[in-house]
Amino acid sequence: MSTWVTTIWTTNIKMTNNTPPAEPVGIGLRHPYYKDVLETDLDLGWLEVHPENYFGGGINRHFLSLAAEKYPISMHGIGLSLGSDQPVSKDHLGNLKELVDLYNPFQISDHASWSASGNAHLNDLLPLPYTKETLARLSDNVARTQNFLGRKILVENPSTYVGFNNDEMSEFEFLNTLAEKTGCCLLLDINNIFVQSFNHGLDAVEYIDGINPAFVGEMHLAGHSEHQAGEHTILIDTHNNFVRADVWKLYEHAVKRFGVIPTLIEWDQNFPTLDILVSEADKARAILQKIHGKEASYAAG
Amino acid sequence: MQLDKFQNDFKDLVLDNPEALKRIPKDLKDILRQDDIPLSERLKVYRNNIIGGISDMMIATFPIIKDLVGEKFLAGMARSFIMKHPPGQGCLNTYGAGFAEFLEDFGPTVTLPYLPDVARLEIACNEAYYARDDHPIAPEDIASTPLKLRSSATLLRSDYPLLAIHDFCLNGHEENETLNLGTGGEMLMIYRPALEVQFVKLDAEEFKILSMIQNGKALTEAIEKFPDFDFQSFLARHIRLETFAPLRTNK
Repeated sequence: MSTWVTTIWTTNIKMTNNTPPAEPVGIGLRHPYYKDVLETDLDLGWLEVHPENYFGGGINRHFLSLAAEKYPISMHGIGLSLGSDQPVSKDHLGNLKELVDLYNPFQISDHASWSASGNAHLNDLLPLPYTKETLARLSDNVARTQNFLGRKILVENPSTYVGFNNDEMSEFEFLNTLAEKTGCCLLLDINNIFVQSFNHGLDAVEYIDGINPAFVGEMHLAGHSEHQAGEHTILIDTHNNFVRADVWKLYEHAVKRFGVIPTLIEWDQNFPTLDILVSEADKARAILQKIHGKEASYAAG
Repeated sequence: MQLDKFQNDFKDLVLDNPEALKRIPKDLKDILRQDDIPLSERLKVYRNNIIGGISDMMIATFPIIKDLVGEKFLAGMARSFIMKHPPGQGCLNTYGAGFAEFLEDFGPTVTLPYLPDVARLEIACNEAYYARDDHPIAPEDIASTPLKLRSSATLLRSDYPLLAIHDFCLNGHEENETLNLGTGGEMLMIYRPALEVQFVKLDAEEFKILSMIQNGKALTEAIEKFPDFDFQSFLARHIRLETFAPLRTNK
């Protein structure tokens, strides 16, 4: 069925990920939290960073080095542009690998989206048509990245605000196939699934039930916003607020299906105080424990 | 429609003027799903995310210009800049390096001729913040080892009192308070010896000598060119400031 796939993917590279942290819930380490995260003992399993913020060098790295002494680090990229119809940038990969070698993150991830076209990098997670052509391009870039890093990566489902007439498969089929072909894992952003379902009239539960649990290696939770387009509403993945009640409900469903999976609370604009962010993480942990018991531990694999 | 064509058309549309959303190219219209929500509204979300997101980053990089012209005006200038010079890579830490040159030709601010140099100062600060860490040369090696300036260093000469403008704008001022720009220009080194970006005021010959070293000239050449200059004090001062790094490192 996959004769259209032209690339020979990963051959002899050891594609194991590092052991996940004992405590499954983490938060994003952002500039306003550097000091508090370093000075406070928090009930958190790990910290997530955007590697691009640490490319090349700079004062930021000083804080990351100190934070990495206290917590396991996950590197969640926003700039690989895996879905572009051009190879991932060698410079970008080189910068990422330098950080991976320095900080040894337990996970490395980016998105099923594109940002770069020609020489322009649009700094957003842009939508892809779910076609065999896209799957081939995206798979090539995921494989290039994994080969370059010598590590398995996770690829995240996007929030999108346009749909395509030429889709040849559903988003969850697209993601399952990507993972099957490349050996990558999936990072399921539960808020994105909610946003996607609202914006494109999908069934969020059916989406989650369509994802092969064997591929899921991380989950994300974040707040979104409503954008009024005339009398209609478009949900936008803004990471600027509390996780919505409907998204928590969906997370509970996902936890039942996927087990205890490292879960991240993302908050990237209108930053709250650190204790508010940590209390969101507490809510995620409470759901994991409600479903899988106090001693919630990772499922095999 | 092929993926590359879609991505190219989409890029051209979001980097165009907002009015372009009223004339979405036919190929894009054909590939994108139409429903009750006008396509222009959907694409506007992306345009706002992209241009607005990069513009917010520039506002954070240029706090002095923000104080001088106001956030709204800076956002407008940033949008024009982004459409003309979109980012070329996925790391935007030092994006905006061409903003000073852009401002030199930007009609609406020709009455503020100091603005490009203020931009240069802020670009130098930002680049020093994100520069790769390096180590100063050991004082005992300074005579025997080829030198360069620290990787974070920018040398900047302006006809305007940049440090006074910096302090005036960032340390707070009354709404109607004014600053005298007639106090003369200055020569500066902006660099990051450790974890903080620093400014050093330079005199004319010191500036020239540091510029020579930054342009790859050896210290001995500078000594020949400025026979009357007090190099002993110069070196003592710049050892203390940790201005220099070895030209070649073993790494």
